[in-house]
Amino acid sequence: MNCEWVKASLIEYVYDEMADDARHELERHVERCSECGEELQATRRWHQQMAARPSMEPTPNLLAASRMRLQESLEHAEQVAGWQRWVFDPGAWLRQVRYSPALAAAILMAGFAAGIMTTYGITSRRSPGLNSAVSPSEATIAGIRTITQEPGSERVEIRYDRTLTESTEGRLDDPRIQELLLYAARNNSNSGLRLDSIDLLRQKPEDDRVREALMYALRYDQNPGVRLKALDGLRAYVRGDIRVRDAVLEALVNDPNAGVRTEAIRILQEVRADASVRVALEQLATSDQSHYIRSESRRVLNSLPEID
Amino acid sequence: MPAEILTGWHAAGSSSSGTGLAQEHMVSHSLSRVDDSALIREAQRGNRAAFEELVRQYDQAVLRLALNLTRSEQDAQDIFQEAFLKAYRNVGNFRFECSFYTWIYRIVVNLCLDHLRKKKVRKENSAVAVDENGAEHNLLDQVADPRAGANPERDLLRRELGARIAGALERLTPRERMVFELKHYHGLKLRTIGEMLETTEDTAKNTLFRATQKLRGTLAEMR
Repeated sequence: MNCEWVKASLIEYVYDEMADDARHELERHVERCSECGEELQATRRWHQQMAARPSMEPTPNLLAASRMRLQESLEHAEQVAGWQRWVFDPGAWLRQVRYSPALAAAILMAGFAAGIMTTYGITSRRSPGLNSAVSPSEATIAGIRTITQEPGSERVEIRYDRTLTESTEGRLDDPRIQELLLYAARNNSNSGLRLDSIDLLRQKPEDDRVREALMYALRYDQNPGVRLKALDGLRAYVRGDIRVRDAVLEALVNDPNAGVRTEAIRILQEVRADASVRVALEQLATSDQSHYIRSESRRVLNSLPEID
Repeated sequence: MPAEILTGWHAAGSSSSGTGLAQEHMVSHSLSRVDDSALIREAQRGNRAAFEELVRQYDQAVLRLALNLTRSEQDAQDIFQEAFLKAYRNVGNFRFECSFYTWIYRIVVNLCLDHLRKKKVRKENSAVAVDENGAEHNLLDQVADPRAGANPERDLLRRELGARIAGALERLTPRERMVFELKHYHGLKLRTIGEMLETTEDTAKNTLFRATQKLRGTLAEMR
């Protein structure tokens, strides 16, 4: 063992990545060699110094927002089926093309040419006065994107986004109605509308998607009224569906609203023999801030047979 | 779906007070009934709830890694989103050749590397982060250091050092930065880092060595 090897291994040593025998050898060498001993001290000082850069922890808000955003995207995401791997994928092919600059440049130029010709074709066919089929008054203007005046003329081009209000009606078991209710339950910023949609959806909790929406509302909705409605809709499934039971357990332990936690205790009473429920109740019985919840948890626990 | 699979409730209350350690262990074991491979198989059959259960086991660690590498909440959220969507779309291709942990980290690591490469081109300032509202703020000003406490002078020195370290990290290549971050701040083993970067443990070790040499050199220059 020489000093060069020791110096090259000090990083491994401070990061605890050395094999036991090599570590032993290194420690023996450092005891004898003052130069390597100083180098080890310097490496250790540097290692400690690096802790001065603060590590960032995700805030609960960021985590919750990320989870919600992901959940919304998963609604529309589809898995790649096994057979699709063998099918020609233009996207993947194009990604590979980027490593071939000449071909990529040729495709880019061809795309430009096609784009210019298509745009020319469209603009030359367009009648001079009417550029839009729907007048802005028929819809609400969501925002103006660009305003461009043609040089030397009084013509102005305005590009805008619009939203159009539509309505639909049907029975509660109509798939279209259910789709809209599910959308409203998850995405609406108006808590009153979420409450209404959850209230209607809980009449059909046997549908798997509805049950998912109710569990989602129970876990993530900001409004305790919506969470209570969702809880009520899930009541009948707490015994048979373990996912429902887990969602109610989460509410029991984590929900900030005492009313929701109380309701969760009531619902979980019928599955109180489950070990998870027992542990959650034990925790609430000792540490919940609400006196009522502590006593209710103790009452349910006392009604259980002793477990060895 | 078998009922016992989707019982992914990692009870916050598994550490019940007043019970012995052994009992606590037994109960927590009974609570963490989630079996990754069973969940993966369910997710591969298209069960979204099973996939969401998997996500919940890894999402915090993934977000933390992305946040520390990008130093931007918005970018971290984008990487988080993209990583799990990619995982969901491709979970059917998961062949159990490595752990799901390594697999999901590999996806995140690749996305972060892409991000770092783009950032390198833009030459952004690492100490300036952008929050969800687009407002810029200095991250180093935001992190309170409990050790500095009532000593503002010491606090200031630590902040200065923190800023120097952030600057030195910016000068690493994306791959060196990644290996260093995973080793120093996330405490992963070099073998695991090698698997995540689809390389050998020795290569990861060499990259770490280069990164530490550069960091020491840069910090010495900055003094």
